[in-house]
Amino acid sequence: MIKILKSILAGIALGSIAMTAQVASADDTIKLGFIGSFASDTGRSTLRGAEMAVEELNAAGGVLGGKKIEIVKADTRQDVAEGIKAYEYLAESEEVDFIVSGSIDDVTLGWLPRMVEYKIPTLDTWTSYIGIIDKLVEDYDKHKMYFMNIASDEALASLYVDFGKDILAKQMGWKKVIILQEDTAFGGAINGLVSQLLAPEAGIDVVDTIVYDVATVDFAPLFSKAEASGADFIYVIASVNSQVVASQYVKLQVPMAMTGIAVSAMGQEYWEDTGGAGGGISTLSPVPSVGFELDPISQEFVDKYKAKYGNDRPKYPHFNGFNAYFGVKQAFAAAEKAGGFKPLDPWVGAMLEQDLKLDKDGTPWMRYGFWKPGEKEERTGRTYPHNARFDITKPYDDGAPSMVVLQWGEDGVARVVYPEKYATGKFEVPSWVKK
Amino acid sequence: MEKIFTTRSILLWILFAVVMCAIPFLAGKGFLRICIQAFFLAIYAMSWDVLSGRTGYVSFGHPFLVGIGTYATAILSYRFDMPLIASIPLGILATMIGGTILFLPALRIKETYFALVTLAFMELIYQLTQVVRPDLTGGTRGISGIESITTGAINNYYLSFGLMFIIAFSLWALMRTRLGNALSAIGMNEEAVKGCGINTTKLKLFAFLVSALVAGIGGAFSVHYFGSLAPRNLFDINFLFTIIVAALIGGSSTIIGPMIGALFLTFLLEYLRPWVPGTERFFIYGIVALLLYMYRPSGIYAIFWEVVDKFKGKNASSIKDSTSIQGVK
Repeated sequence: MIKILKSILAGIALGSIAMTAQVASADDTIKLGFIGSFASDTGRSTLRGAEMAVEELNAAGGVLGGKKIEIVKADTRQDVAEGIKAYEYLAESEEVDFIVSGSIDDVTLGWLPRMVEYKIPTLDTWTSYIGIIDKLVEDYDKHKMYFMNIASDEALASLYVDFGKDILAKQMGWKKVIILQEDTAFGGAINGLVSQLLAPEAGIDVVDTIVYDVATVDFAPLFSKAEASGADFIYVIASVNSQVVASQYVKLQVPMAMTGIAVSAMGQEYWEDTGGAGGGISTLSPVPSVGFELDPISQEFVDKYKAKYGNDRPKYPHFNGFNAYFGVKQAFAAAEKAGGFKPLDPWVGAMLEQDLKLDKDGTPWMRYGFWKPGEKEERTGRTYPHNARFDITKPYDDGAPSMVVLQWGEDGVARVVYPEKYATGKFEVPSWVKK
Repeated sequence: MEKIFTTRSILLWILFAVVMCAIPFLAGKGFLRICIQAFFLAIYAMSWDVLSGRTGYVSFGHPFLVGIGTYATAILSYRFDMPLIASIPLGILATMIGGTILFLPALRIKETYFALVTLAFMELIYQLTQVVRPDLTGGTRGISGIESITTGAINNYYLSFGLMFIIAFSLWALMRTRLGNALSAIGMNEEAVKGCGINTTKLKLFAFLVSALVAGIGGAFSVHYFGSLAPRNLFDINFLFTIIVAALIGGSSTIIGPMIGALFLTFLLEYLRPWVPGTERFFIYGIVALLLYMYRPSGIYAIFWEVVDKFKGKNASSIKDSTSIQGVK
């Protein structure tokens, strides 16, 4: 047994040395950790946006006195436990200076307590759960290292309610909706917001809600239930495997309109993934989405992206690829101003000052900035500390729109249909649905 | 019958504890975090081994037991603000009740049929967490933000190692009693044990309860370490296989084996991360585990003794004897 113990100890010692060797990088590098799903287009968009920003920063001579940035990646597999392990790995094995995340809401909620423990500046490019911004509202000091540069789901829902009012109720004349919601933190949050706001603000009643597991493969019974509900349309909330619900809707030619959120429809590969069975699907999308006209600077990013990654999917960056690209640059600009990522307070202060305004044809088009603590958003009357600075009031000139609604035509082309300022097409119901 | 505790064996356990307690002074925090994961896996693997490795009743429903402890303490502390000092013991108690339920099929069926029924238990609880009071269980998305017992790699290292050590030592002592021998005898020939006039039903119930106790401890403490739970992780075939593979490739029916297996698997997976950061590392991990089990089904523990005996010049036939002589089996 002594020999067993000796061998275990020798293994531990060797392992420890190996880990230390991994961590012991040169003093002239800064470590950026990426946490997210390697297998999803959305996760890969964040990673690529961060990679491109890092390449440009390194090519420009490095950061913080000429130091090169090194990216360390940790896969979450869209799994809560793996997400926690991944954050621990980045923080304690790799000792990264800054983390950029392409994680879904549930995974972020899993690693959030670790972020609080390690106090590592973290930029989230995908999670939009308002509950996390609420944590900053409730206990700012504890969570101040966290920034979310996508509009929170509450802001997404607010603008979506306008779409409901202007298009679904006024233009289409719909009065009743049934919600088809995946069982995730994101699904629950969006459902809550839409249910609370659609009826009083748009005059559309929620007649029922169907909650489904993200592993569901046969939606026919759920669509039958939706048809029997007497609703005018389905509001779908699908962030995981959403091409399944979307393509089945088309293939089954469900005789009622469906709109809402289908994350897969936000990507350029959607048409291929559904085998062309994706026409008529419309989805709320954070910006910039596919079909969204770009300002020159964002267009330059897309051109470089296409040149670098070619046909390797995702061929076109998702919204969070833009968020990662501009957000990582902002995080390092803040670090330059604050003298590094540590101590935390100067960096947080400098990050809050970051404000990139992008114009198109002389019109304010996109904005990458953050709401400051205590600063109230006019329409909702509440604060959104460290959330992307969104604008949910016409004419959308004070910030980026929190979202647009895009629709895939039956010709396979994605068009933005709302709000009017950004529209490149008109909202239509699929050809098999009676108008 | 040999003495349960010899001076040599006690000294070895003390040495093991001292050395492991010294690791936080020598290793980085990242290393400690991997150890913590391995210690919890070792607890689950020992729990499985005490039931399936000893009695031969192969359980495919172990996540069912782990899940009961996990959910019970998480719900009590997170939803009802119960202090952890009460929620954790209640979670463990709930797991032991679950262990009794899992035991019921063992009264009537064995072997493959028993394994399949226990698998059904896992699937059943997975479905139940989604439909029965999702306001408490969190439905398919589970619960996040569960209170921690302590924070930091070092504190959690000592906590998880302490748990694993106490469990390992207790099981080791238990398996050296006549009761432990009787449990092993059930695995070899249950009918023969019955023929000796021993009540095997009581013995099996005892094994199920001990297994559930250990699984409950592991589940209840680990959820307060991770801070969140998700049913798709917990009641998952991958989690079940990880537990079984840790016990088998370490060395089934031993106490040391499942610990070695858990450490080996966890470190293998985490050490692959820098070189193979994506899902591919799980493929490599699976291949390594498969090869090890195909070519050395007796496990890493036995491989070690084979090597030791080769150095000592003993022949292969003496290997089995040598492991018993060491008094650690």
